[in-house]
Parts: sequence; C-alpha cells; structure tokens
Amino acid sequence: MFFHYVDLAWRSFKRTPVVSVLMVLAIAIGIGITMTSLSVYHMMSMDPIPHKSSKLYAVQLDTMDDGEEWWTEDNLPTQITYKDAMFLNDVDLPYRKIASTRTGFTVHMNSSEVKPFLESARVTGNEFFAMFDLEFLYGNAWSKEQYQSAAPVVVLSESINEKLFGGEDSVGKQVYLNDEVFQVVGVIKEWDIHTKYYDLNNGSFNSPEDLFIPLSLIKAKELTTWGNTNGWKYQEINSFQDRLNSELLWVQFWVELNNEQEKQAFSEYLTNYLAEQGTLGRFEREKTEFSLRNVNEWMEYNNVVSEDNRLLVGLSFLFLTVCLVNILALLLAKFLRRAPEVGVRRALGASKSHVFAQHLVEVSMLGFFGGVVGIGIAQLGLWGVRSTYSYFSALATMDLSMLFAAPMIAIVSCLIAGAIPAWLVCKTQPAIYLKTQ
Amino acid sequence: MLEIKPIFNALRRSKVSTFLLLIEIAITLAIVSVSAFVIVDRINYLQQETGYPEESLLHFSVLTFGDVDRMQQIELDEEMLRNIPGVENAVFMQDVPLSGSGSASSFDSHPDPDMENNKGIRAAYTAGDENMIDTLGVNLIAGRDFRADEVKFGLSSENRPTVVVASKAFVDEMFPEGDGLGKTVYFGRSPIKIIGIVEQMKGPWLQDSRSDNVVIFPYVETRSFDHYVVRTKPEERTAIKRQIEELMLANYDKRVINPARGFDEAKAEYNAGDILMTRMLMVIIVVLVLITIVGIFGLTLFNINKRTKQIGTRRALGARKSDIIKYFLVENAMVCIAGLGAGALGAVYLGTLLLEEYSLPALDNSFILYTALFVLAISLLSVLIPANRAANISPSIATRSI
Repeated sequence: MFFHYVDLAWRSFKRTPVVSVLMVLAIAIGIGITMTSLSVYHMMSMDPIPHKSSKLYAVQLDTMDDGEEWWTEDNLPTQITYKDAMFLNDVDLPYRKIASTRTGFTVHMNSSEVKPFLESARVTGNEFFAMFDLEFLYGNAWSKEQYQSAAPVVVLSESINEKLFGGEDSVGKQVYLNDEVFQVVGVIKEWDIHTKYYDLNNGSFNSPEDLFIPLSLIKAKELTTWGNTNGWKYQEINSFQDRLNSELLWVQFWVELNNEQEKQAFSEYLTNYLAEQGTLGRFEREKTEFSLRNVNEWMEYNNVVSEDNRLLVGLSFLFLTVCLVNILALLLAKFLRRAPEVGVRRALGASKSHVFAQHLVEVSMLGFFGGVVGIGIAQLGLWGVRSTYSYFSALATMDLSMLFAAPMIAIVSCLIAGAIPAWLVCKTQPAIYLKTQ
Repeated sequence: MLEIKPIFNALRRSKVSTFLLLIEIAITLAIVSVSAFVIVDRINYLQQETGYPEESLLHFSVLTFGDVDRMQQIELDEEMLRNIPGVENAVFMQDVPLSGSGSASSFDSHPDPDMENNKGIRAAYTAGDENMIDTLGVNLIAGRDFRADEVKFGLSSENRPTVVVASKAFVDEMFPEGDGLGKTVYFGRSPIKIIGIVEQMKGPWLQDSRSDNVVIFPYVETRSFDHYVVRTKPEERTAIKRQIEELMLANYDKRVINPARGFDEAKAEYNAGDILMTRMLMVIIVVLVLITIVGIFGLTLFNINKRTKQIGTRRALGARKSDIIKYFLVENAMVCIAGLGAGALGAVYLGTLLLEEYSLPALDNSFILYTALFVLAISLLSVLIPANRAANISPSIATRSI
C-alpha cells in the first residue's frame, strides 16, 4: 500500500511541477537556514568526551576574602592559585587529579632545516593523558622520577612530530624549546576535540596544545603562563618565587571521580583543606566554598555556546515556521483542487484513513526532497560561516547525526504542516462530486 | 466605501487561508524587527570610533629565544623600523589596543585602596617610550606628551614611572569636574600624575564595558612577547607589512616574528563573531522577506482562483476593474493589520525575553513600527499582481458555466 501511495504521490508531483518545486524549495530554504545554525549549535554544545564526561570534574576553590566578587554566576573564580594546585596535585589521594596551565615556546631544532615557530604547550601532570583519553602513538608519558627531578622532557602531538621528525618514532630525540634542549618521551595521536573543555580561558574552540611538559618545570624553568592570570588583592611581586607564593589565580585543576563515594570523600577533603588554609590567614571567609562541576556542567557554566548562537537557532526555527505556513497554504490549494478525484476514490471504497494516509505520504515525500536539498543549502550556509569566521571552521560542519536530522526535521515539519490540508481533503463527501459529474 | 463588512464576512468563509496569512505576517514582523534591531545594534558597535588611524597602523609580536640583550635589541629594532621608507614612526609597547589581549587594573583616588572614600576606576593600561603617542596617532587634547627623560627602562621598586597620559573617558570618570589634568592617581599604591589627556583611544577589548578607559605609562620592559606598533603612510602599509619579518630577522635571527596585522584587521578578527551574526541575520531577513512575498502572492492567487465565478458575477453586475483590485487590497490590508498587531505583540515579547535572557539592550519599539509599515507595503505590493489578474476576469465567465 505504501508503495502505491508513493507512486500516487510521484504522479501528483509531476502533475503540478511548478507548485511542487516551490514547495520543495520552501522547505529546503527553511531547513537550510535552520540546519546552518543548528549544526554550529550542535558542534558547540556536543559532549567532548561522552563516556567520561560525568566523571571528570573541574575544581574551583574560593580562596578570596568574603565580599570579593567574580564574574561567574556563583562568584567562584574559574582558576586556582599555583600553591593550591601544586599541593592538590602532589597529595596522595586514590584518584587521578591534575593541575595544568598553558604556556608556550619557540620550537626549533637548532639547525636551519626547520624554521623556528611558536607553539603553545600544556604544563601538566603525567596522568593528564590517561585522564583525557589521549592515546600514545610512540613512547609514553614521563615517569614520576622525571617529574620529581624536573627533567626537560616533552610529549609531542602527532602533527608536531610530523613537522619536526617527518612522522617517525621520535622517542629519545631532542628538540629545542626556546634555547633549552628537551628530550621527546612520547608522541600522542591527534587530539580530536572541537571544544577545548579542559581550559576554556582563551577561547573555547581553540585547538588543544601540541606540546606537553611536566608541571615541575614551572618552578625549575620559571615558566610564565600564556593563559589568563587574575588577581583579587594587591600583593607586592618582585620575583618569580613571589609570584608562585601569591594569591594570583592562573592554574586549572581537574579530578576524576568514579562514583558518588569518591566525590563525597574528595569534597570532604577540600572542605578540610580550605578550612585549614583559612586558619593560616590567607583569606578571610565565614565558610569554605568550592565547586566540582563535571564536563557538561563546566561547559554550561562557562557559556561555551554563545548567546548569539542560541538566538540564531531560535530565529531560524521561527523562520522555518514561516516556510511551513507557506507550504501549508500551497498544499491546501493543491489538495482541495483534487477534491473531485478524492470523491471518486472515497465512493469506490477508500476509507477516510486511507485517503489521509495517502496524502501524508505525499507530504512526507515533499519533506524528504526538501530535506535533501536543504542539506545542500545548509552546506552553502556553513561554508559562508567558515569563510567569515575561520575560528569556527571546525564547528561549522555537519556531522552524521545532523545529516540524518535534516531530512527528519523536514519530514516531521512537513507532516505537521500537511496534516490540516490532508484532514480537510479526507473529509470530502463523495456524494457532492459524484453528483456534478 | 471600503466595503469592510462584506469583505469581513467573506473572510469568515475561508478561515484557514486567512489564518495562515495572519500567522505568516505576524511571524515575519517579529523576526524582521528583532533581527533588524540586533543588526543595527551590532553595526553601531562595529563602526564605533576607536581614536586610532586604523588603516595606517601595523602590529606584530616577537618571541626571542636567543641570548641577547633584549632592551638594547628593542632600541635597534625601533631604529630600523623607523628607517623603513614609508614608515612614519614605530614603537615598542607592552599591550596593543584592539588586539584582544592586554592588561587592566584599578586606579585609585587614594593611596590606600581600603580607605572608605577611595574611588577605584578600572582602566586598561599599556606602556612605551616617548614615541608612543605619536605612533598611535591619537589626538592629545590637553597637557603634553612624555619627555624622553621620563621614560623608565626596566621596572623595579626604585625605578617606577611617575607620570601618565590617559584617555579623556578615564580622566573624566575619575575627576567628574573635568579638572583631572595635573592630578594624581594611585596605581598599586604608588602615585602617578596625569600629564596629558587623549581625546579618544580604545583599550584592547572593545567588548569591555569600560573600553574607553586607557592609561599609558612611560616605561620599557621586556616580557615573554615583545610587541611593536608601526605607523605607515596608509598606501604603503601592505608593502611594508610584507617586509617586516625579513627585516626583523635580518636584525637578529634567534627569534620568531608573528605575522604583522593592521589595526583594522585585528579589530575585524576580534569582532568576527559579531560580523558573522550581522551577516547571518541579514541573510535571514532577506530570504524571509522574499518567502513572505511569494507566500502572500500564492495565497492571494489561490483565493482568486477559488472565487473566479464570484468575481465574474460582480463584474457582470457592474463592478469596475478598480473595484475588484480595491477589494483584494482592502481584504489583504485587513488581514495584514490584524497580523501586524499579533506580530507586534510577539516582537515585544521576544524583545523582553532577549533583554532578560541575553545581554541585548531593550528592543526599541520604533523598529517594530517601521518594520510593520514595511511589511504592510510589501504585502500590498505582492497582492497587486494577482489582484490585477482578478480584475481582468471577464464577466462572461460568470455566465458561461451555469
């Protein structure tokens, strides 16, 4: 029966080609605009690490005096101090926890073969790779001993390894970061994320760093951060050590807690730690405050999806509604003109529900064609987005789920629009039309 | 005269298509007025005066890895840059305006910021030598520029700047009486005197609520990145931009020179999101208006086809062509005005929603009014062609098929 309806729909299509093409175009433009903004929205809000996002928590500590304000909704700073970060990173607790921050170097080989270039680097603990699911192509993370002795070792990304060593196994080889020799201990596979969720400070959609070095090098090599540094009180800072001891906030901290018990235990630990720090006179607070947010909560909290994008998604759905209204009007005209034919079919024994179904099949076909053409229009739109804003180039694409969603949205919205005309036409009284013929 | 009553009665017989037209007009009004408002808001933001001759200014940054006396190298580089033909002036500076990265701090009216009557005003700050004001090409409206002997090389607790040049916005906010020139403000408890006032200069972040507050110190100090700003003759900027990397590396080669960018280019990059938003909204408006025109056209055509016989009868009974056209125009205007009423309510609601949820300013109601007039106009225009066709229906049609 279904194929018979498809056949009927196709015939009806060919009978009024102009109106049919107009309808397909209307739905296609609506879907095209909607999918353009929806795809960007989808990419922005996508869970970057689905199987683990509820176990990874960003740690925020309130180490400011009471009454100090921050721009976040709950007045908590988004980064923590170096001293808190190092203490919590090194303390012996039974779960993965990582302090990290962003810095950068001039990378070169001390030869004329490779032109020196700038590269940002992540300074972090050796469990960073396991925590964020980074796979090693060659070698491994640095060892605990290398961390403790602040050895100049580096893990490269696949793309930097390609650039410096032509993609071969570079473990044990040397590379210059600024004017110091670093030894390569590992190469990771390309880190394929759109949202730099582990450090949202300097643009949420920048690419991840391509160099990774041990946290202990901050102190040993006096590394300065390439990210944000925020302060809340005036402190005299005359040396690097002053800086490390200060209340400046510039380190990110993540912890991996596998269940509620661990979360509970870590929360208790933080409460005690902050209370203890308070008694040392670092800050004046009535009660200790901290926060653990998992990956999705963290992205929400940091407004990763921009207001503009939400607004565009809203407007484009309204736009789609206008397109649907037009289609509805066209369908109305088309279906009602066919009333005599329907009258005959009804008289020959087709039930109302058959007629209704037949017209819905026709409408769905329109939706399907519109969706397919709409994907093309959306690709054009996304190309426009990419060429206006290169920062969005990784985001302004359609993944499989969006490609699948486009015709689905088109068909569903066409069914909604087509239901009224289909209902009106199936109510046709056979008698009237039989009489006039 | 306008035969509103019979038209209204006729409309009640085709509820679905009337309702569709009404909805279409309402949504179109809501979308177009809100989008137009956002577009105008963004365009005003994008076109605001920054105080700099953006088309003449270039900025590039340098990261040095070799072992070299960088303070001395800065002098050599500045010298070299100033000697490039077509360059007006060049300066080494701490943070660069409009670049999206920089420093800001609170400046206090009192040496002890914890004092009750202290007034702290946030401002972006940067620093450079006595060439800074001239290189940036800003307009010094009061006081004087830095003297060479006021510039400090390398900061320490003993070697601190004691004077600043500040933007008028900052000075006026700090000293609302307008007598800020020559007054002292405190930066981290050390006193500094305002010796010059610049009419307008924007800080590094245009989106900052205090983007006009900028303070310039006279000092030269190296950090990880060294920033240089070059002012050129506008027509020679592109050519000079291409030479910079090579010339800088020829001066000293153990360093990486980031590609030079014009101030206008850096600004466009910083604002790329807003430019994108403006373009997308423009596309939405244009396509939406087109679709609405086609939609109204189609609906009217449908109505006319349905009523061919009635129109023929009216013509046969003595109605003139203009009467038929008027009928459809009045009918469309009636539905359109009802739709615009509904759409205006929707737009106002959308506007308050945006005000509450987003950081958008309150929707200006005149946008809704102008958009409504525009929609009414295009709606009537798109009726004209089908109405004309209706008017040409021959009276004989009415009699023929009976």
